[in-house]
Amino acid sequence: MKMRTWTTAAFLVIAGAALAAPVPVAAGAPTELVVADSMSGANFQTYWQKTVIPAVKQVLGVNLRYLVTSDAEQIQKTKAWKPGQGDFHILFAKSIATWVKSGVPLEALNASNVPNSAKILPEFLKSDEGVDLQGKGLLYWRTSYALIHNSQYVKNPPKSWKEFYDRRGEFTGHIGLIRPDAKSSAAWRQRLVFLHAFLGDKMKMPIDQLEKDPAFQDAWNKLKDFTKHAKAPLPSEPVNLFEDFNSGETWIALYAQDYALWSARQGTMPPTIRATYPAEGADEIGTGYFAVPAGIPQEYKEVAFKVLNYLLSDDQQIRLITTMWQYPATEITDQVPPIAWEMVPKLDVLTKTAIPRDRIRKDMIDYVKGHAKDLLP
Amino acid sequence: MRELWRKRSVHGITFFLLLPALLCFFGLFFYPMLLTVILSFRPEGHEVGWTLENYTRFLSDPDGRWVILLTFILSLASTALSIVLSVPLALTLREKVRGHQLYRLMILVPLVIPGLIGALGLLLFWGSRGWFNLFLLQFVPGMASPLRINYTIQGLIYFYVWLYFPYTCITTMSALESLDPAIEEAGAVAGANRWQVLRYVVLPLITPGILAGSVLTFMAAFGAFSVPLIAGGDYRPLAVEIYKQISIPIPARWSAASAIAMVMGVLQVVFLTVYMRLVRRAGGNARGAR
Repeated sequence: MKMRTWTTAAFLVIAGAALAAPVPVAAGAPTELVVADSMSGANFQTYWQKTVIPAVKQVLGVNLRYLVTSDAEQIQKTKAWKPGQGDFHILFAKSIATWVKSGVPLEALNASNVPNSAKILPEFLKSDEGVDLQGKGLLYWRTSYALIHNSQYVKNPPKSWKEFYDRRGEFTGHIGLIRPDAKSSAAWRQRLVFLHAFLGDKMKMPIDQLEKDPAFQDAWNKLKDFTKHAKAPLPSEPVNLFEDFNSGETWIALYAQDYALWSARQGTMPPTIRATYPAEGADEIGTGYFAVPAGIPQEYKEVAFKVLNYLLSDDQQIRLITTMWQYPATEITDQVPPIAWEMVPKLDVLTKTAIPRDRIRKDMIDYVKGHAKDLLP
Repeated sequence: MRELWRKRSVHGITFFLLLPALLCFFGLFFYPMLLTVILSFRPEGHEVGWTLENYTRFLSDPDGRWVILLTFILSLASTALSIVLSVPLALTLREKVRGHQLYRLMILVPLVIPGLIGALGLLLFWGSRGWFNLFLLQFVPGMASPLRINYTIQGLIYFYVWLYFPYTCITTMSALESLDPAIEEAGAVAGANRWQVLRYVVLPLITPGILAGSVLTFMAAFGAFSVPLIAGGDYRPLAVEIYKQISIPIPARWSAASAIAMVMGVLQVVFLTVYMRLVRRAGGNARGAR
């Protein structure tokens, strides 16, 4: 009797385990893809969930499983993949340059497999953060940083970085600078944009040469001095910066225009938030890139290309600016409803103030990250 | 012969039933731990070779030692405060005051709210324009500016206490409720007043329960991540330091992160061993008192 009980129990466990095992994907085109997103902040993560995923499901019949992750984690994982057995199929990378430089095999993306990519400006397909993309990244959207300020406290915002630096005493304790060792890209963007204002063309120099230049030393010291006027302690991540804006402790900060406007609409930033572009440039336009890992099954690649093509379609690209205040990757500016330009400056205005792409490079970014300790007040 | 066969079958089935648990242990715990240990001794960015540099760099860096000290300060302070808070609360709730079931439920709230959400809520509540400060500014005469709580070490300890004190409180309540009332009555009959009963009878008997719960609070506080990441300001303990090694530099410093994780693990095990010894000793004393 006891023996029978054990046998029955063992049978039940085995049967349960067999039933709980995942069902193999049926032959034919896959209908479920995994998107690994290391790029999006809370605003765009919401957009994926509420807008992109339902639209892809409705139009292409493909179910996107959405995974928020980090570049470091996924690069490590991807390196361990066996060929053809990768477990995410579309990558929305925080730094496409990092992926390309890491040597992880990525699919070449071009008009032959993603026809709508032909509408993307060639310079954005060529490089990002100064790294040759080798045709492995597809731009999805662009955005910009701006001097976000609370008009309740800042009646006359600085028109240039130099003016901002000269008037730093006026804003002591109220400048929002994210910690230089934060995960948010604002950690390095804020510093790089500041340095660019004082270095200009010199930012094109390789970092080992630039570091020895007296102008760099001067700009670096100015940055350290400027940091002393920031609100302390420095906010750990953007959520803390927003809270500092809400509490009235922070009045002005360089931050992503799209995220700030979205947050003001959500009620997580004061409604009196406004944005201006400093004369020397707000930022190289922030960029969000797609990639498709080469180490995934071929049939998944075909579906991934279709999904990317759909996300670069005119309809999807216009939605980016009308709902998220992000600039389309494709050349469809003339199709954008005029009302969108009431909220954000036109692309040509932005292009004029944007820092040229070759001045913000990966080695500079790594330099700022590597010297984070020096930049804590 | 038949008996031997039956015994073997039973052992086989037992092993078979244990197999999922063993696989989980090796796959989800042992293998990742082993990988972390190996990685911590690898030169950064290399898959071969052995080095102690990851450990020496962290432990010889004054910032590294400060991070260890800070982690202990935060964990010990929040554990001590959790005990101070739990004992009177448990004593009160034992009396079955009106609405005690609701209070018991509320104690569990921090455990069911994700740490990050809890931390954000606390930041809003204690902020310079949060409800707490608005209340003070409105009703406390002579108070001109808000109290600074967020991003201070004291504030961080409050946050830890809020999040982790339920572990101590629940075990303290459970120890109190399993106490035979006759023991307290015996103390009272022997002439002890309420304070003396509490001091010399109740507290010694529930001490093992308090200490056992406080171990959980300590361990949770020692490994805290999302709370200090968001609410720590300049105070960033070990878990945040590990995260920084992976999320900030590119390429990520996996070996350095693994070495810090190992240091953290060893410190936890050492502390736990000492603490459990104390608990056992306290348990022995309590049995003696009984």
